[in-house]
Amino acid sequence: MSLRIGIREGVRTITRNGSLFFLSLLVAAISLFLLSLFSLVTFNLYKAIEVLDEKIEIIAFLNQRANVDALKENIAKIRGVDEVIYVSSEQALADLRDELQDTEEILNVFEENPLPASFRVKLEKDFRNATGLQEISGKIMLLAGIDETLYGGELVDQLKKVTGIIVMFDLGLLAIIIFSVIFVIFQTIKLTIFARSTEIEIMKLVGASNGFIAIPFTFEGIVQGLLGGIIAFMLTLITYRVATYFFGSLFFPHWWFLLGTIAGGMIFGIVGSGIAVRRFLK
Amino acid sequence: MIIFDNVSKIYQKDWVALQDVTFHIEKGEFVFICGATGAGKTTLLKMIYKDSEPSRGAIRVLNQDLKALKKKEIPKFRRKIGVVFQDFKLLQDRTLEENVAFALEVTDTPPREVRKKLMEILTYLRLSHKKYAYPYQLSGGEQQKVAIARALVRDPYILLADEPTGNLDAKSSEDITNVLLDINYKGTTVLMATHSISLVKKMRKRMLRIEDCRIIQDK
Repeated sequence: MSLRIGIREGVRTITRNGSLFFLSLLVAAISLFLLSLFSLVTFNLYKAIEVLDEKIEIIAFLNQRANVDALKENIAKIRGVDEVIYVSSEQALADLRDELQDTEEILNVFEENPLPASFRVKLEKDFRNATGLQEISGKIMLLAGIDETLYGGELVDQLKKVTGIIVMFDLGLLAIIIFSVIFVIFQTIKLTIFARSTEIEIMKLVGASNGFIAIPFTFEGIVQGLLGGIIAFMLTLITYRVATYFFGSLFFPHWWFLLGTIAGGMIFGIVGSGIAVRRFLK
Repeated sequence: MIIFDNVSKIYQKDWVALQDVTFHIEKGEFVFICGATGAGKTTLLKMIYKDSEPSRGAIRVLNQDLKALKKKEIPKFRRKIGVVFQDFKLLQDRTLEENVAFALEVTDTPPREVRKKLMEILTYLRLSHKKYAYPYQLSGGEQQKVAIARALVRDPYILLADEPTGNLDAKSSEDITNVLLDINYKGTTVLMATHSISLVKKMRKRMLRIEDCRIIQDK
């Protein structure tokens, strides 16, 4: 009963104060869009760093006398080694031809295949740094049949430093955006509630319970969050489509973003209106 | 029905709104609270429906010690008291009927009873023919009648009127005062705050006169 009247009041305030509702909906939608857009950037940044991280590996070149199977087994036993992939000299040549494409004639100066066979040694996550690389490559060098190893070393550490700074910067910005979004949405809700201070005053005067007074505003918060979330998601989707056109494939879990923007909007709406009404009720 | 026992209200250090106010109002009385603007009339009325707390002293309303009244119980308590203001406080985007029904609906009254009560009160105040009008389509006197209808529709034991005629011309003022007298005649205790001594003198009713935050006359 009281819920029915409360929702009727909520619908009424939305339709009667259409422009104010539209304004605050716009604010919510844009704020949520900003948040969702930045989450998209953050997700892809992490994804890129992960891909980069997985590329860290040691290349161990074999000499002619090497026993491939035994070596592979031995390297795999070293602590920190995740996977060992054998690349035959024929495979290496084929890869190089692929890479050179049009200029592959250059290889014709060689009478026989100049490339040695090798292992691509992938490392476990904790060992993907300069110390880990150095340590493991040292152990590999001790094995008979290995001529030489190749790895990034210092470069890897520098890369890690740079990505670390980017991540920190990104998280800092994300925190600022979340804070501003909360602030702006809360202020807007306060504004819409202030516009109806007479209603609240009269409701208090005639003895409506605080819970009842909050119903229309909570309802409005839910509607606003729902619509704002959907609009924000659609804007993000459009931006994503445009971005993929320029940057190639991006990581964008649609359902999670749709759910996230709507849930985020509704939480902002419900909590925000709750706090604002409570302040009004003292 | 209403007992003030040595009640003082001090807002800030040097700003006293009421000082050592003591009075007793019986069931069915009609009392004028008289005094200049800023004398403390509004504060006094606000304390009766617990919109303002006394700094000192005790207040009993409808056999209820207001200090002991919990926050959660305030809404229920307020349903027994009707309040009317100088500026009417009507919702401009609602019709006369909706404004009055609002008071019933937000306090969980069944629709059937809302309709019944509405008809009764609008007939009594002779507002039925304008029930679809919006406040801006009504005269000041009519708007105040709507506010009175809203305050009365839940059959309160006490009706508080804070300068109800302050915005009205002489004719409408008399009209509204007569309505309040009639409501009192039917059994509701009425407190009316006003700064117009001439109006009070005409009525021959009990008057509490406030000056400089104190009651200086009770007759």
